[in-house]
Amino acid sequence: MTAQPRIQPQSAATDAPASGALTLSALSKRFAIEGRALPVLDGIDLSVRPGEFVSIVGASGCGKSTLLRLIVGLDTDYSGEIRLDGKRITGTSLDRGIVFQDHRLFPWMTLEENIGLALLNSEIPKEQRARIVCEHIALVNLTGFEKAYPHQLSGGMAQRAAIARALVTEPTLLLLDEPLGALDALTRVHVQTELQRIWMRQRSTVLMVTHDVEEALYLGDRVIVMAPNPGRIRRIVDVDLPHPRDRSSPVLHRLRDEILAELTGAPDPENLVRFPAQEPR
Amino acid sequence: MSARVIAFGTALLPPLLLVGAWQIASSTGLFPPQILVSPADVAGTIAELVRNGELGSHLGDSLFRLFWGFGIGALAGLAFGTALALSRLFEALFQPLFQAARQVPILAFIPMLVLLLGIEEGFKITVVAVAAFFPVALATFDGVRGIPKGWLEVARVYRTPFPSLLVRILIPATVPPVLTGLRLGLTRAWLVLVAAELLAADNGIGQMMEMGRQLFRIDVVLAGVIVSGLIGFALDRGVKLFERRYTRWRVA
Repeated sequence: MTAQPRIQPQSAATDAPASGALTLSALSKRFAIEGRALPVLDGIDLSVRPGEFVSIVGASGCGKSTLLRLIVGLDTDYSGEIRLDGKRITGTSLDRGIVFQDHRLFPWMTLEENIGLALLNSEIPKEQRARIVCEHIALVNLTGFEKAYPHQLSGGMAQRAAIARALVTEPTLLLLDEPLGALDALTRVHVQTELQRIWMRQRSTVLMVTHDVEEALYLGDRVIVMAPNPGRIRRIVDVDLPHPRDRSSPVLHRLRDEILAELTGAPDPENLVRFPAQEPR
Repeated sequence: MSARVIAFGTALLPPLLLVGAWQIASSTGLFPPQILVSPADVAGTIAELVRNGELGSHLGDSLFRLFWGFGIGALAGLAFGTALALSRLFEALFQPLFQAARQVPILAFIPMLVLLLGIEEGFKITVVAVAAFFPVALATFDGVRGIPKGWLEVARVYRTPFPSLLVRILIPATVPPVLTGLRLGLTRAWLVLVAAELLAADNGIGQMMEMGRQLFRIDVVLAGVIVSGLIGFALDRGVKLFERRYTRWRVA
């Protein structure tokens, strides 16, 4: 087991950003279903360093998407605490961006209008917005498609556009909710590489939910393995490899096999190891 | 281009066959000529009605009623549908009544409306407005309710200010279903107007047909049938073109 988290050197960067520290403490969430309270998240403790890329994997129904909805501020009904740079999260804010599994671009807006929409309520002066939108379109390699409508983009391009929209406000924390889940295998690999490149340039803190263990390992500095019913952290795996990474790295393959064995192994609640908040700091 | 010509020709074939069958039926004397006038005679009647201005005057009266009735009904439908979709209280109060009332055939309102409003312009405009109201209100309700939650979440994440949310997201998102509702409402309004004029009017395309029937001028009746059919078709097509133009962002 590589479940001994240790203090890890900031993988690719020495210029670690000063903001973007996320702390979850004793975070729990229940849904009321037919009068019964159904726990979906139970006692999540996690702290994410500024600029870190953390992947979250787990069986469906382990509350990983719910976790992101809480952090982005779309759902404020929870117990425990979520803090970003020490500030308690009470709602949505432009310092947190999110990419959903479906790109959620507005079909009647061009690519640049879709991305510009994210800046409508930002403090960036109006005359600079067009330039910033343009830069972010370039960041996701979509230059030339500024006037295209979403239906004219391929799935991978639309998802990259959604990433640009999430990044255009320069959030300190970027949340990715299975952003590549709807893409075909080849496009996924391509967009994963893109994501890594973008993150290495942007250096915001990233929290990515995925059901693809390889993707989680390829991109994440750490991989959080969650267990369902109720959703809780089962294990935290450090991926001590510098970025950009080589997909064929034996370390990644060994970790993948371990995590897959854990996720697909016979679920015996008696033997389920619950790792307490073993955090580097 | 040639594909479009072929499609046009294909669409034209059944009407031409129908006219041909009609011509044969009338010229072989299958029906007495007083009952089944030949298409050539009907064409002649239409030409005559156009020349002496009778058709234009009736059509003008009918379209005037359609314009006002549809305008009032559609605006009321838009407002009602929006309120029904946005306000829980409004929905609790009016949804059952609305759902029940829209099941009543519009023509069934006519006797009651005649008693209340007489047979003057007010009556016809009201009938048309009622006919337009229901499809528009229903489409608006569905359109506003049907805005995907995901889109509203995007607006919440980026804290889109309300005026922008309304203009850039809510209205564009409801335009396609509302336009479909308007189109349905417009053709429905036209049908009901012609029917109302058949029952009670001094002028208008429906009244022209009713007079034709009373005078046993079947050619005039058939001229009315053809003209009202063409008008309905043109109205539907017109809104469809408008729809296509303003919702071009939908998968082309």
